[in-house]
Amino acid sequence: MTTLTYAWRAARVTPLGELYTPPRITAALLRLTVQVVLVASLWHGLYAQTGTTAGLSRDQAVTFAVLAVLASRLRELDQYAGRDSVAQHMYYGTVVYWYLRPLSPHRYYALRALGEQLYGLAWALAGYAICLAAGVVVPPESAAVAGVFALSLLLGQWVLHYVMLLIDQLCFWTLRNTAALLILIFAQNLMSGVYAPLWFFPHWFLVLSSFLPFQATLNVPLSLYVGRIPLSDAGFQLGVQAAWLVALRVLTRFLWRRAARRVVSQGG
Amino acid sequence: MNAVRIMWRVTQLNFRAQLEYRTEFLMMIAIGAVWQVSVIVFATVLLTRFAGMGGWDSSDVLLIPATRMLAHGLFVLFLGRVHGLGRHIQEGKIDAYLLRPLPVYRQVQLEFFPTNAIGDLTVAVGLMAGALGRSHLDWTAGRISYLIAAVLGGMLLEAALFTVVASASLRFPAADYWGRWLEELLGTFGSYPLNVLPRAVGGFLTYGLPLAFVAYFPAAVLTGHGHSTGAPYWLAAASPLLGLLAYLAARWLWRWALGHYTGVNG
Repeated sequence: MTTLTYAWRAARVTPLGELYTPPRITAALLRLTVQVVLVASLWHGLYAQTGTTAGLSRDQAVTFAVLAVLASRLRELDQYAGRDSVAQHMYYGTVVYWYLRPLSPHRYYALRALGEQLYGLAWALAGYAICLAAGVVVPPESAAVAGVFALSLLLGQWVLHYVMLLIDQLCFWTLRNTAALLILIFAQNLMSGVYAPLWFFPHWFLVLSSFLPFQATLNVPLSLYVGRIPLSDAGFQLGVQAAWLVALRVLTRFLWRRAARRVVSQGG
Repeated sequence: MNAVRIMWRVTQLNFRAQLEYRTEFLMMIAIGAVWQVSVIVFATVLLTRFAGMGGWDSSDVLLIPATRMLAHGLFVLFLGRVHGLGRHIQEGKIDAYLLRPLPVYRQVQLEFFPTNAIGDLTVAVGLMAGALGRSHLDWTAGRISYLIAAVLGGMLLEAALFTVVASASLRFPAADYWGRWLEELLGTFGSYPLNVLPRAVGGFLTYGLPLAFVAYFPAAVLTGHGHSTGAPYWLAAASPLLGLLAYLAARWLWRWALGHYTGVNG
């Protein structure tokens, strides 16, 4: 029971910060609505005089781009406003409290991320339902596609969690790392298909992306959803996602142990 | 003259402060460049896959991201510290600024040296050189003067938009959220012809959130597409002037908001 209480309290930390600032929720709602309209309009406009390009029809491209906007809500909560980002804890020295609680830092971090992602998922699902009803996005081709997409999205978000954790763990080794964090976040957005579906990029870019974990976070699930990756290839893609998941889990657990040795409270 | 000397001294000190962490300094230059390259990548992908975007030749389209990026680089260098001001307000720094004998807006701009602007401007200058090199236009003195005015107007318009957000942040620090969205919108929708969008959406990006005036309208006027933007030609042509007027209006709003600012101690 106590474990569950700790889990609940840790998971709701960042969402509560958002719920206590209504202007932030209004802003998020407006931003998401406008962004969906703009992105859908852009891809409709671009396809006005073109048929299928890069293996994507107009409906597939619009659906991919709109779902990417909705998926970006999954990890958009602002830890910085609540002074609860790892970078801030390292800067102010308050990270030491993470090691004094009856909950290990890596578990607190994971539970907090889970809460954030569940909160973001509620937003994304509501947005998806509205977009589907309005005909902005097309539904998956079959129940099997929907199932594979759901599994792939779960794996993708899990991989994304570890990528973001890696970025945060960097803070334990470098006090001033704003630029490194920005570069990694940029790489994540570019190579996962947030800016534009990866299928539009040159072949060399696709090859490069296939060696990195970023495309496993969003490009794979969304490509499965719109049918750009056929169901026959889904097994391999899910395997790649799972492999990244295991590799990143092992690496981040190792880094948590090493990071603990670097935390020194004031006075030694 | 004394004010200029103080600003120069503070900027020199800020630059030395940035040099304290050499790796971070170099990476900040890199992030500026990388961020701008992302805009180029996005524009290139669209241009390659969707040729003749909005009826524009690809060399003409290139002038839009080049103008926007140069304007953005100058904004980051000279006036960019208004972006993200909400965090400084939360930390109570404004209260300290109010006690010093220097205008608050100037102190905000002198908060730190924007190292990433070096990367921003390097890529932007390169892209502008490439755009001008590929352009089939006759670059007369008049056109060059208008392009320079457009870049400066774009810088001032971007500064005006972020100053409005900063003014709102003085009362609602959470308004800073809008600044991040604004930056994203400028990067995504400010770099290609807006006539590919439906008229209502193009209208929103012209009269609601005036992104069109930053680079699209000036580039349209320069390349002879000024009459097909959906806005009156004179309005599109007056973009640089509108940038200046918007900035002056935003500074007035800032002064008004600062006059009504109350810190945590009332």
